[in-house]
Amino acid sequence: MDGFQSKLPPGILPHGLPQVKEVQPAVTQVEQEKEKEKPKEVQELSEEEKQMIILSEDFQRFLDRTSRIVERALGESVNIYSDYTGTMDGEDGMDEKSHQRLWLNRWFFCDRWSRNRCVTSMDWSPQFPELLAASYNNNDDTPNDPDGVCLVWNTKFKKTTPEFIFHCQSPVMSTTFARFHPNLILGGTYSGQIVLWDNRVQKRTPIQRTPLSASAHTHPVYCLNVVGAQNAHNLISISTDGKLCSWSLDMLSQPQETLELHTKQSKAIAATCLAFPYGDVNNFVVGSEEGTVYSACRHGTKAGVLDSYEGHQGPVTGISAHAVQGGIDFSHLFLTSSIDWTIKLWSLKESKPLYSFEHNGDYVYDVAWSPTHPALFAAVDDSGRLDLWNLNQDTEVPTASIVINGNPALNRVSWTPSGLHVTVGDDTGKIWVYDVAEHLAHPRIDEWNKFLYTQQELKHNKADEELHKLNLREPTSLTSIPPLLATCPLR
Amino acid sequence: MAQEVEETMKRIQSHKGVVGTIVVNAEGIPIKSTLDNTTTVQYAGLISQLSDKARSVVRDLDPTNDLTFLRIRSKKHEIMVAPDKEFILIVIQNPVD
Repeated sequence: MDGFQSKLPPGILPHGLPQVKEVQPAVTQVEQEKEKEKPKEVQELSEEEKQMIILSEDFQRFLDRTSRIVERALGESVNIYSDYTGTMDGEDGMDEKSHQRLWLNRWFFCDRWSRNRCVTSMDWSPQFPELLAASYNNNDDTPNDPDGVCLVWNTKFKKTTPEFIFHCQSPVMSTTFARFHPNLILGGTYSGQIVLWDNRVQKRTPIQRTPLSASAHTHPVYCLNVVGAQNAHNLISISTDGKLCSWSLDMLSQPQETLELHTKQSKAIAATCLAFPYGDVNNFVVGSEEGTVYSACRHGTKAGVLDSYEGHQGPVTGISAHAVQGGIDFSHLFLTSSIDWTIKLWSLKESKPLYSFEHNGDYVYDVAWSPTHPALFAAVDDSGRLDLWNLNQDTEVPTASIVINGNPALNRVSWTPSGLHVTVGDDTGKIWVYDVAEHLAHPRIDEWNKFLYTQQELKHNKADEELHKLNLREPTSLTSIPPLLATCPLR
Repeated sequence: MAQEVEETMKRIQSHKGVVGTIVVNAEGIPIKSTLDNTTTVQYAGLISQLSDKARSVVRDLDPTNDLTFLRIRSKKHEIMVAPDKEFILIVIQNPVD
């Protein structure tokens, strides 16, 4: 260093030479700090000023935005300090999961808004597949709170609170995302009104609602569905007096079309559930309170009820149309669940059920086809049981089943659009999210053909059974020996 | 509306490990807090200074950029700072397990 510096021409100081400065006396630093502290004490807001700020719209928007981010960040429990060089903590949970078919992932519950409220319906956002809208019934313990609640939950982030909270005056019986409008959520209420919420506005109450008049619904709306395409879609709603209304989302002041659903004896159909076959906007199936399922169509020369499907002994609680497209078209298939403890598989082409699942020992409240596997469906019942049936594996017992802790009555079941999780809504306001093993959720290529074969097998079995019944009945009708009659089953 | 603010604060506070939640205005004056007064004033002053500094760093590096979130991990806590134009939300968390 010295040698290099000495070569510099005289008069030019080498840079890097330490500059000697006077050290500032410590007294001034303290003084400066004191000066800083002084204005701080002056600046304190009064309660009124604080309240003014809190009530300002800017503040509301700020808190709404930032609280969302912070809550998501809080939910992340990833330990970025993981050290893999040390000894293992002995967590072999993954091994345990590898042979399981169904396991609990998480649950959604809000002490303030969902406690003691039965989950009445669930729907997934088509634009944001992680968002789940759930509607809730009223809570008898809190008569001062709004009767109807609709919460939007986020399955992507581990935050435990709802993404959006909406409510209205009447219990919400059904809810759906407004398919082509990612920010709108619709609810069908017990009073018959249909309400519309918007998550862009800082408001929890509906921004629009349909009138309570004879031109629309005056009975509870359990069936709500948005059908159609981007440029021509309608909201379809059916109330328990058998009235079907078709709405344009731009104008909820009156329905575009109405249709009365009658039985052949011109009795109104008390619709409890609704399903549209895959890709269909005109034909649909509805389950009714008296246990009969009806197929109907909205337009055409014979608008109204087309066929009836009899088989259930009690009210139909849930209906699900086959949802997977593949090499073979199964869109004529649908499932129903009922209070009569059974689940039935139907084809639109036959008025009698293809098969009846009689494994449950309690009211079956809902049933749902997998969105990815052609032969897989989920069902829930009153005893807290969640069953997964893979019809290509077994039709007598469920492939996987689980009983939820505390045996809550399970009212609704729904698949995530990926088909890898099932969500279950119970009567206490909890939504349980279960993971489904990949080998169960993803179909193999031959699964469609196999399912066709399964259906044929079911048909043969049914024919055999009926033949068997006839054979049993014959001796009772021909022979009239009293002791024999007593031992013979009549049906 | 004020009720919803209370609800949001309570909701954040109810998360596992959350020690305190503070809302500060642009001048570093606390508006709402779940902590005691001296701690709040201390956090409010220091964090708003840090947040201002962090924002100016981000903006100096790229004038079209802006600070959106700041996380400070320390041995004892994690401090999350969500700055906005006029306010800053500060959440202090004890990391669980």
